[in-house]
Amino acid sequence: MALMQIHDPVAAARPIGIDLGTTHSLVAYVPLIGGPTTVVDCDGEALLPSAVQYRAAGEPLVGAPALRVARDFPEDTILSVKRFMGRGADDPETRRLGPYRFATQQGPVVRFSVAGERVVTPVEVSAEILRELKRRAQDELGELGGAVITVPAYFDDAQRQATKDAGRLAGLNVLRLLNEPTAAALAYGLESKQNGTFAVYDLGGGTFDITILVLDDGVFQVRSTGGDSQLGGDDMDRALADRLLQDMGTEPAAASPAQVRVVLSAARQIKHALTDNEQVEAEIEPPNGAKSVAVRVTRTEFDALARPLVERTGAVCRRALRDAGLRPDELDGVILAGGSTRVPLVRSYVAELFGSEPLSSIDPDQVVALGAAIHADLLAGEGERPDVLLIDVLPLSLGVEAMGGVAEKILPRNTPIPASAAQTFTTYADNQTGFSLHVLQGERELARDCRSLAHFTLKGIPPMPAGLARLEVRFHVDADGLLKVSARELTTGVEQHIEVKPSYGLSDEDVERMLLDAYEHAETDVAERALQEQRVEAERIASATEAAVASDAELLAEGEDQTITRALAELRATARGQDARAIQRGIEELDRISKPFAGRRMDRSIARALAGRDLSAVERETAHARGIEPHLGGGDRDK
Amino acid sequence: MDPFATLGFAHRYDLDKSELERRYRDLQQSLHPDRNTAASASERSMTLRKAVEVNEAYRVLRDDAARAEALLAALSGGPGQPAKRDAADPALLTEMLELRETLSDARELRDAARISQLADQVRSRQRDVSVALASAFGELAAAREPGRLAKVAELVSRLRYYRRFLDEVAAFEDEALS
Repeated sequence: MALMQIHDPVAAARPIGIDLGTTHSLVAYVPLIGGPTTVVDCDGEALLPSAVQYRAAGEPLVGAPALRVARDFPEDTILSVKRFMGRGADDPETRRLGPYRFATQQGPVVRFSVAGERVVTPVEVSAEILRELKRRAQDELGELGGAVITVPAYFDDAQRQATKDAGRLAGLNVLRLLNEPTAAALAYGLESKQNGTFAVYDLGGGTFDITILVLDDGVFQVRSTGGDSQLGGDDMDRALADRLLQDMGTEPAAASPAQVRVVLSAARQIKHALTDNEQVEAEIEPPNGAKSVAVRVTRTEFDALARPLVERTGAVCRRALRDAGLRPDELDGVILAGGSTRVPLVRSYVAELFGSEPLSSIDPDQVVALGAAIHADLLAGEGERPDVLLIDVLPLSLGVEAMGGVAEKILPRNTPIPASAAQTFTTYADNQTGFSLHVLQGERELARDCRSLAHFTLKGIPPMPAGLARLEVRFHVDADGLLKVSARELTTGVEQHIEVKPSYGLSDEDVERMLLDAYEHAETDVAERALQEQRVEAERIASATEAAVASDAELLAEGEDQTITRALAELRATARGQDARAIQRGIEELDRISKPFAGRRMDRSIARALAGRDLSAVERETAHARGIEPHLGGGDRDK
Repeated sequence: MDPFATLGFAHRYDLDKSELERRYRDLQQSLHPDRNTAASASERSMTLRKAVEVNEAYRVLRDDAARAEALLAALSGGPGQPAKRDAADPALLTEMLELRETLSDARELRDAARISQLADQVRSRQRDVSVALASAFGELAAAREPGRLAKVAELVSRLRYYRRFLDEVAAFEDEALS
């Protein structure tokens, strides 16, 4: 820590949790003392409307100011951008009721045409929201640590990647993408400390998730998850807006962008008012200056419009229960998250579906961000909860297109992550040197009904007769739920190079270019940033190694203590200098030297877990009996 | 990878499920990437590889059919013995053919009650096979005779067929639900 203070006189950087929502976004953190808390703006408001207005000149407006002018600039004000994340330009979402101008009808990414002759992608719009949240958090906390950003559990690989790209673009160090229902469970679970099996029903502005998980002494283990990443409160607004337009004598398809915006916003307000009232009367002011129209909506009428949408969640919940091997009465509780669970119809539907009153003691608009803050705190290793662990699952099966256009699953849904699986393929022609592979995500039988993630071409296969080559394609899903693919040719034993041609989303070059365009990444900053990052990384590794040596000294081999201590001291000395590359080399050197020791530590913790906790004392004795000299860590260490 | 070895279980079909859960969670407490964020690069990649292996082993051992396959593979010296796999019992094939016909009739009639009844029937047969497998594996462990190995292989393939059938039912239910 001493080093950190030399270079950074400010207090330690605090990690943050961000709920990047369809209608609202918010940021939270765990203070040094007390539970998680949200960051509020100067008006005391925690929720930042997920609205971005692009102007002919200057920085875009974000949040409430953008929302206020949405009706005057309907095409330049992007709302609910989350629904477009990771979507192609021809996605059905682009044809639903909305006021936008799309730059193109085809291609892998949705692009909005906005003021100032600009074309922006959903990733860039989301990055503006994240930047605003980052500013708010910085105002309150000063230096920020890493960020956990939440995503709907049912988000596919493309949507997750887009979210992570948006985080990078906003200059955040994204520690982890966390599933929203899991975040909600974390916030509830740590408050109630009650073990059991729970369902989290999360209906937000644009997405629905159901997650079934087991909480056992601080371990949150997801059993199954399901959802619909295109279903939420927005759809209720649209259904009601359709009706309001008809009341006003306008065909929804013929409505102007400004009209659509006004009516959607009125529908939202009516929906909110119907939470506490049986009937709502409102005046809608048409944007063209015509006479305002009085409308009246009863809760029964609204429920009739919303019911088909809400019922879509029932089927998804039943499937998740089946996947977890549970009946509704085997659950110990149902947790509500997401603003749309305020709708009375949703509450009564959930109570009926699960046969019990759902839990909603934590504000459903904030619970996800609070859970994300706790997770960020855990990842930064700052909290006082050493035994809390989240084990999540892959939401949608991953596979490849096989012969006849059939989708062949390689990793099934609800597999605990991180996970990896391999499939072996062969060549079908003599001297075939390339092999193309279509990666899919989804549950449907036919490839064309699944989400197409990427087309890979494996090249450089040594020429041999058909059917002889053995190409092992390995899928690896990390703890963020993101997929990586590698391949090798087994008969020659050579790792083969893969050329990735993404068929969705932004390419790495796109993201790099956007990063360079962004003002925080002006060229002059890059070197300084790299140096700072290397210094932080060096100190992180140094303190971790120091702690490991102190706690597991008996696992050090003869003389290892001295070599590690020397490498540690050298790394710290290098980190005081200005050469980022040299620091990088120092980190690698310490890593190399301490690797055998790290391996012994891992083996011992595995042996302990397999033997049971109570046997750890026995293990320790056995280690001594084997003749490993206990080295007392502190002695000659350079402080 | 031998999932039994990864989670420290003997090569037996019977498995203490609560012990499996405990070991799995205890292992992930030290191996999961979230628990190693502060570790060095090589330690992170070492624990990540192991965490993935533990997840895979856990997935196999939790599932009766997958566990049976893995145990058979471990006992008969390696996975993928295609000759044994394809030698399905004619009685089993007839049984499956009948079940399939009933299922496809019920699907055509969209008779959900009949389908769920059929699924219950197969699940009950699945349980019986599972019990039989436990003793057959026990006998095989006592003496590795070809006859005993064949018996186990027959039961394992029976379990595999039932599993596939129930997967089809589940796929149909999903379609009906959405």
